[in-house]
Amino acid sequence: MTSDDLVIVLTAGLLATSCGLLGTFLVLRGRALLPDAVSHAVLPGIVGVYLVTGGRDTIAMLLGATLFGVVCVLAFQALRRSGIVASDAAIALVFPALFSLGVLGVSQYTSGVHLDLDSTIYGELTFAPLRTLDLGGTQVPRSLLITGAAAVVVLAVVVLFWRPLVLTSFDPEFAEATGIRVRLVERGLLVLVAAVAVTAFESIGAILVVTFFVVPSATAQLVARRLDSMLGIAVAVGWVSALLGQRAAVRLDSSVAGSIGLAAVGLFVVALVFAPRRGLLWRRRGRVPRDSPTRRSGTSAGATARRG
Amino acid sequence: MNWLITSLPLPYPEAVVAVGAAVIGLVAGALGPLAVLRGRSMFGDAMSHGTLPGVVLGFVVAGTKNLPLMLLGAGLTAALAALAVIGLERYAGSRPDVAIGVVLSAAFTTGIVLLTALAGTGNAGQSGLSDYLFGQPAGMVERDVVLTLVVGGSALLAVAVWFRVLRTAAFDPGFAAVAGVPRWAVEAASTVLLAVAIVLGVRTVGAVLMVALLVAPAVAARQLTTRLGALLTLSAAVGATSGASGALLAGRAELPAGPVIVLLATSAAVLAVLFAPRRGVLVRTRRPRAAGSTPRTPHDPGARSRVTGGAR
Repeated sequence: MTSDDLVIVLTAGLLATSCGLLGTFLVLRGRALLPDAVSHAVLPGIVGVYLVTGGRDTIAMLLGATLFGVVCVLAFQALRRSGIVASDAAIALVFPALFSLGVLGVSQYTSGVHLDLDSTIYGELTFAPLRTLDLGGTQVPRSLLITGAAAVVVLAVVVLFWRPLVLTSFDPEFAEATGIRVRLVERGLLVLVAAVAVTAFESIGAILVVTFFVVPSATAQLVARRLDSMLGIAVAVGWVSALLGQRAAVRLDSSVAGSIGLAAVGLFVVALVFAPRRGLLWRRRGRVPRDSPTRRSGTSAGATARRG
Repeated sequence: MNWLITSLPLPYPEAVVAVGAAVIGLVAGALGPLAVLRGRSMFGDAMSHGTLPGVVLGFVVAGTKNLPLMLLGAGLTAALAALAVIGLERYAGSRPDVAIGVVLSAAFTTGIVLLTALAGTGNAGQSGLSDYLFGQPAGMVERDVVLTLVVGGSALLAVAVWFRVLRTAAFDPGFAAVAGVPRWAVEAASTVLLAVAIVLGVRTVGAVLMVALLVAPAVAARQLTTRLGALLTLSAAVGATSGASGALLAGRAELPAGPVIVLLATSAAVLAVLFAPRRGVLVRTRRPRAAGSTPRTPHDPGARSRVTGGAR
């Protein structure tokens, strides 16, 4: 494993850390598809900032694209609350359209420069070691710095706001009663997810963002019995997939980000079959799963969806 | 078929693309309500992403870009994705959003890895496979249009034959159950029909955005009529129009076709949502009582799927 490979694994692992931590809370809140919506919405933002500033200046990109994504999602949620568009058709209507705008912008105005369709789909993890910043005399890969900073910020937020995050995830009514502003926590989470999606764009493109958020957390949900272990397992799954995926990508000569995502999916399948208590093998023996960290048991939402 | 293509005031290749994209839009528009009215739109998203590995596998098996085989592969993996979502919900206790997120990821990462691994082998025939991501109808020939027409036509015929059953199941599942229509059969039939629509569209609109061509025409039509028969017809018309005009526009401007078609169909939906005579936003804001008839929820359930689309 060369030092370039190491940089790639570290970048992916740090990204998976931010995504795993946030994704766990999203999965528990029944918002697993929020990263999908957000990553679709930040793409036109990224293109817009690129067109205005003419470059990929990280700070401007982060602020502009995050702001755009957050505004889109908030406007969408307001629209939904107003009752005009109420079904999940609204998600499938609004976000592909935003994504289409982004794709058209990418293919029309920016092709070949530093932003093209390939980087939107596959990400540029392979080039991570090549783009360096001068930091006190040593050359540090830029993406490593960015994803590292994002991971630190996300970790700090989770530690600092542990109580409101946990309470609003498991029992929003009780949280409201104890004086926590549920809506505010929700918005904060949305802003963080959007910011992480923007930082992730450079490494893994726009489409695989949802994979990094959901799959490790869903894997952890199958295995863990407590929230802290669920967070730990989600992050660990992220790191293991980063390592496995990078190795597989070298072997297969395939997209690094895609292989990492696929490795995470593989770990999910392993957990799905073999997880103690919630795995399919245990269920077959007729044991009833209990004590898994979910707000409500999986049947209720699924049953309503099917009843339609 | 031929007379339709030659009667259009367009150069022959463009006419083929226009007719092909119109047929695809027509089928997707007519079948999309099966997903939308049942609150299953995001399920359609997992299925459209699910076509990608099948397209690539079909290519690997055929060795060349053999359209029927690639579409067959796409149909198989899309159906597999649908089964996986249902299986995760039913047997692993996953919530729908998690199940959809995981399956969508599994399908897409598999597709990407296969696609890039294949690109690395230097097989010249594989170039252009990535067009299946965002759609590129340009290479369409008359035989492809005929294939689309035959497969799509049989799907539409199935809807016409079982129209009453589908209507009852969509709007009154309780009555359907009492009347002896097994729910799994309706469930399976609509999933297969959706898979047909998605698979036909994947080449023109692309795996990433195909769901929008199912949903947008249905939303537009839903604003304008309350009768299912009229809804399906209108939705098919919106789909066909956006398909044909989008494909032509994209071809002339050398843009990926998927986003152009999707944006056209979405514009139709947005216009209908805003200006529809009875259900439009404009009308509702003028008469606030009408807007108050929909229940307000204090805590927005966000990405969770709801079923109000069919009930209202």
